[in-house]
Amino acid sequence: MTPVLELRDLRAGYGGIDVIHGIDLRIVSGEVVALLGPNGAGKTTTLATISGQISPSGGTVSLMGHNVNGARPDRLARAGVCLVPEGRGVFPNLTVRENLIMSTYTGVSIASIEERAYELFPRLGERRGQTAGTLSGGEQQMLAMSRAMTTDPALLLLDELSMGLAPMIVAELYERVGELAQKGLSILIVEQFAQAVLGVADRAVVMVNGEIRTVGAPAEVSRQLAEAYLGG
Amino acid sequence: MKLSPANYAAIALTVAGAIALSALNWSGRPVSVATVGSMLVVGVTLGSIYAVSASGLVVVYTTTGVFNFAQGAMGMYWAFVYWELRFNRNWPAPIAIGLVVLVMAPLGGVVLDRLVMRRLRGTPLVLQLMVTVGLMLGFMGLAATQWKGDRGRNAQPFFGRTGGFELLGVNVTWHRFTTICVAVLLAVLLRLLLHRSRIGVAMRAVVDSRSLTSLTGANPEIISGLAWALGSSLAAVAGILIAPESGLVVELLTLVVVDAFAAAAVGRLRSFPLTFLGAMVLGIGQQFIRSFLDFPGGFSNADRALPTILLFVVVLALPQAKLHIRGTAAAASTRIRRITPLSDAALGGLALIVVIVSWSGGLVPFVDEWTGTGVNRGVTMMITAIIMLSLVPLTGWAGQVNFAPLAFAGFGAVMFLKVAGDSGQAWGLVMAALLTAPVGALMALPAVRLQGLYLALASMAFARGFELLFFTQSSVIDSGAGERIASLHFAGWQLDGRGRGYLIFLTIVFAAGVVGLIALKRSRYGRRWMAIHDSEAAAATLGISLVETKVIVFGISAAIAGFGGALFGIQQATLNPSQFTLLLGLPIVLLLVVGGVAYPAAALFGGVNTILFIVIKERLGWSWLSALEILGPGLMAVAMVVNTRGAVTDMGRAFSPLLPWRHDARDQFRLEHATEREDEVGELGLGRPFTRDHVNDLDRQLGIVDLIPASRPTESRGGL
Repeated sequence: MTPVLELRDLRAGYGGIDVIHGIDLRIVSGEVVALLGPNGAGKTTTLATISGQISPSGGTVSLMGHNVNGARPDRLARAGVCLVPEGRGVFPNLTVRENLIMSTYTGVSIASIEERAYELFPRLGERRGQTAGTLSGGEQQMLAMSRAMTTDPALLLLDELSMGLAPMIVAELYERVGELAQKGLSILIVEQFAQAVLGVADRAVVMVNGEIRTVGAPAEVSRQLAEAYLGG
Repeated sequence: MKLSPANYAAIALTVAGAIALSALNWSGRPVSVATVGSMLVVGVTLGSIYAVSASGLVVVYTTTGVFNFAQGAMGMYWAFVYWELRFNRNWPAPIAIGLVVLVMAPLGGVVLDRLVMRRLRGTPLVLQLMVTVGLMLGFMGLAATQWKGDRGRNAQPFFGRTGGFELLGVNVTWHRFTTICVAVLLAVLLRLLLHRSRIGVAMRAVVDSRSLTSLTGANPEIISGLAWALGSSLAAVAGILIAPESGLVVELLTLVVVDAFAAAAVGRLRSFPLTFLGAMVLGIGQQFIRSFLDFPGGFSNADRALPTILLFVVVLALPQAKLHIRGTAAAASTRIRRITPLSDAALGGLALIVVIVSWSGGLVPFVDEWTGTGVNRGVTMMITAIIMLSLVPLTGWAGQVNFAPLAFAGFGAVMFLKVAGDSGQAWGLVMAALLTAPVGALMALPAVRLQGLYLALASMAFARGFELLFFTQSSVIDSGAGERIASLHFAGWQLDGRGRGYLIFLTIVFAAGVVGLIALKRSRYGRRWMAIHDSEAAAATLGISLVETKVIVFGISAAIAGFGGALFGIQQATLNPSQFTLLLGLPIVLLLVVGGVAYPAAALFGGVNTILFIVIKERLGWSWLSALEILGPGLMAVAMVVNTRGAVTDMGRAFSPLLPWRHDARDQFRLEHATEREDEVGELGLGRPFTRDHVNDLDRQLGIVDLIPASRPTESRGGL
């Protein structure tokens, strides 16, 4: 089966200096992969490269068998790659509804997006006229997630979904991620908090210093995590 | 918008002041349906003109995050293009309008976005302000070059000067009616566009986050281009509608939009209904003054000064947090600036004196002695450099934007005229500086709560207010009375304001000023300025009083400018109000920033360039260079998008390694040319030269060497 996402010997970085040094990863349809690792491991850079924000300095990024190296992020977004970046991926000076309007560039109608978003996160419906910058952290993350959940992407990339949020909110968000996974969506989740994500992941990958250190079942990887975090 | 009790008090005070002023200056003209009707009809028309202009400003700010000081000049330029097609080449009006508003102006906007605005992303706000002010001068210079001379051009109103319909006893021409309709339509349509349509929402989204916009599937490059195209078209609409009312004159047309800044500020640069309201208050207010008030003598400009006063009040009275400032006042440079040792400053000053003395005395081999004209230009150069020097501690070190140095200089010149104009005694210069310092401290009051864009606007209002209300007073400058300023009497010498002795005196003053400022910068007190420049919040938490620091730096800056102004007065011998206008002051600010506002040497660079453009124009004698003194500084400022560091920085970096004692400069030079990576790595938040060797060394020192695979070859970039 053609993998939805395939990274081959991928290298990327900033200003000519690689941050990730030749990683290989395959995600098949409907698979949820957790990408774990300490600060500076290159997790966010990996997502930025897959979503087109950074061009690879070597290797390939393939989506459904097509090499997409160097493709613009907006084209990849329209092609079905959805990245929810770390630190609340919302437009703070736009209202909730206007944030949802921005999702229509993927080709889905605003009526459909609004209906689904407000059904999934009723609180957003109550605050549709409020500017996103004035929402709570959890509500902002819900708004960011609603872009992923209402536009039917082929590949969802989630970066530090739990960052700075209360455990209850994190649990609610991961419940939604679990629902998406059950629908067959391929998901790559970057997290530092392993426990939050291992419950929904099919496979876990640990990155250290820009290289993949371990790949395995979540339970198995969970045992090795402490070692990776301590630099061993 | 929620206003605090202090805001309400400020508004109440303003309204009470306006009522009191009106009562005091009531002309006694009868208040009837006819007079009030006439005032309203003309006022609403005027308000509509402001509304159209201000809408363009708000649209560009909302959709690009850039406050476009050039909006008025762009409108002026497109109005000239329309005039050229419609009246000079007799094209039919619909075709000329369509071509200008729907084709040429949008294309111009896209080109502007491609060449200039894209490079401004992520740059400090000071740079953005200077580049757009540079564009303003650039467009003015371009129009003055293309269409030489302001006279003899008549932009006819649409549907002719006669005709129309009667309202409240006043004839409303079809052109004015069109202007009112366009203003109302724009207020409604732009609101709908930006808040209801997807492309409008996307334009605002790009300002919030370009990268996130691209992640939603929208192309931020295309959207930004569209936003500038729209802004340029709106400028064209405003220019074409205003030209028949204000006259097809470069400066007048540009200043109408500068006046509209007040309306845009009422709308906090984002609300179209409030902008419309502000524009109406402005238009009707101005017409009220013309219809019912009679200000004495020097205040006869009160109607023209109203936009300036309103801008100043609005910027001061609105809550800072609600002003919705994007970006930072002046982002701290990633490069750590070397603080010049006093010995270097003294040596540089001495070298300058030697050069000027030798050159003006004909001692430089193969170069002629300066003639009278040359010496006078040298005097202009040094005086401009001294006035520019006033901005180095203020803008360069303390990060406070100021577009009013010429207002301070003018004040100093007036003070010198008053205290020592007859005798020309040198102590008058010191008095002029001391008397100007409190005016600077007054300007510091808005600076205490304003930063960046709003401080820039406040300083512009300050400069324009001085131009229209202070220098016009006959008790301040009575140009008709033939008051003359005597030559300078200093230590037994009498120095003619255009002579070689005066030039050498100015050079010594400049050199001493530079050494004094460097000494001040190196002092404990001077470091406060850099502290508030880097972070006001951090400085405040360290116990630095922002109010005191800002008041003092503004005072010092004004004193230097006042001193320079007094020197200017001696050179000119007579004063007139047109010497100290806002527009004349802008090249002074721009050329300094082009040089590198944080370096005193940039003041000399600016002074040299001020006369260089005049000399080039004169030597070449090409007619298309007729407006070079405006066009030149404008284009140089726009060129800062390519080199944001400032010209003297680069010159210094190239020259200083040649000095035998500058080992540090040679080391720095080697380092940069070995790596050529510093800026790029700076994006990672690392402020040091960065190579793989450094990383490996650091890893070894931190004991994490085992994480680096032994098989991976270590890259060496050499030179370290």
